[in-house]
Amino acid sequence: MVLLVLAGGIAAWFGPGAPLGAAIFAIHPPFLNTFQAGVQRRLSPELWNDVFLPVLEWPGWLIPLLLGALFLAIGLLRRRRRHG
Amino acid sequence: MRILRRRGWEIPEREATPEQAYLNRRTLIGAGAGAMLLPAAAAEAQWLFGRREPAADPWTRNPADIPDLPPAMRNTRYQPGRDLTGEREPVTFNNFYEFGSNKDIWPSALKMPTRPWTVKVDGMVEEPGEFDVDDLIRRIGLEERVYRLRCVEAWAMTVPWTGFQLSKLLEIVKPLGSAKYVRFETAQVQPHMIGLRQSWYPWPHIEGCTIEEAGNELTFMPVGLYGKPLPAQNGGPFRVLFPWKYGFKSGKSLARITLTDERPKSFWETLQGSEYGFWANVNPEVPHPRWSQATERLIGSNERVPTRLFNGYGEFVADLYTNLQNERLWA
Repeated sequence: MVLLVLAGGIAAWFGPGAPLGAAIFAIHPPFLNTFQAGVQRRLSPELWNDVFLPVLEWPGWLIPLLLGALFLAIGLLRRRRRHG
Repeated sequence: MRILRRRGWEIPEREATPEQAYLNRRTLIGAGAGAMLLPAAAAEAQWLFGRREPAADPWTRNPADIPDLPPAMRNTRYQPGRDLTGEREPVTFNNFYEFGSNKDIWPSALKMPTRPWTVKVDGMVEEPGEFDVDDLIRRIGLEERVYRLRCVEAWAMTVPWTGFQLSKLLEIVKPLGSAKYVRFETAQVQPHMIGLRQSWYPWPHIEGCTIEEAGNELTFMPVGLYGKPLPAQNGGPFRVLFPWKYGFKSGKSLARITLTDERPKSFWETLQGSEYGFWANVNPEVPHPRWSQATERLIGSNERVPTRLFNGYGEFVADLYTNLQNERLWA
């Protein structure tokens, strides 16, 4: 539930089209730069370009929404098993 | 009657596989599995660790018909006092954030076409204009200067740049008396500059200096390196260079130069102002928040040598800062 509220909060605060990267950058500007340097220099440039960058381009609310929906579904299933 | 019922694992000795054959079989299976897994593992490792050595030549010109630079005499007034860095390291070990944070961005950078290329010079000038780089080269003429380059990351190179003094370009556009700063804007070339997809960063990449710094004799506009056209990974085809400042101040692949009365806020200042400020003059006694600046590693030899105030160019530039004690001159 917290994640779903967070998704709504991100959409309301940063706008529905704002990318995840923009939301992170607005909260803590140096973070992504340091993180990117760590990934590209110590792991792989492609890992950043092909994995992290596309995810950061998604709308900021999408990941909390997906995770929230997933956890909610798991919780509902467990409850149904327990009572069913 | 006793019935002898053999268990499944009880077989006659003669049916046992000879030891050598067994070992060979194991080797064969191992080799087969290895042969199947190796390309996948190699691809995975390449993807994970990205340490591939592309076959391309880091001096490749794009487009291929970029002409050689006209001959340029070396200006012996600027003696580096160090051996030149080898020709390969400076073109394969680069910082150019538009192409990525890693040092081996050169294969991507080389895909960016650097001709035709124009630079707009505008703002507080009498004669603004848009100049073709090759026209500027013909109009101003070229010289070669060997400068030490000191990166804020505590590594250094010594390379011969071909270009002209920024003051010669300023003579053409004639700055107004009200101009106090010069703003350098890096081109935004999509889709080659993959970093521009990070739309949350304050693109375009801006750098800046005072009008006095711009007019200093050391401030150079390279269009070449080692006598060849400046490769894109080094800021080609046209960049600025302040050899007494940390390297990030020297804007690359310039599209626009603006004279203004407002101090430009640079890209790095916006991102991490506590670490990368407006002045960023080299000073071994002022550490970066995360590392010492007392020494520098020479690219190529990996030798570590003491860093010098103003990167050793104090005699040319120290007087630019005599009345600026209240400024953060060293970050």
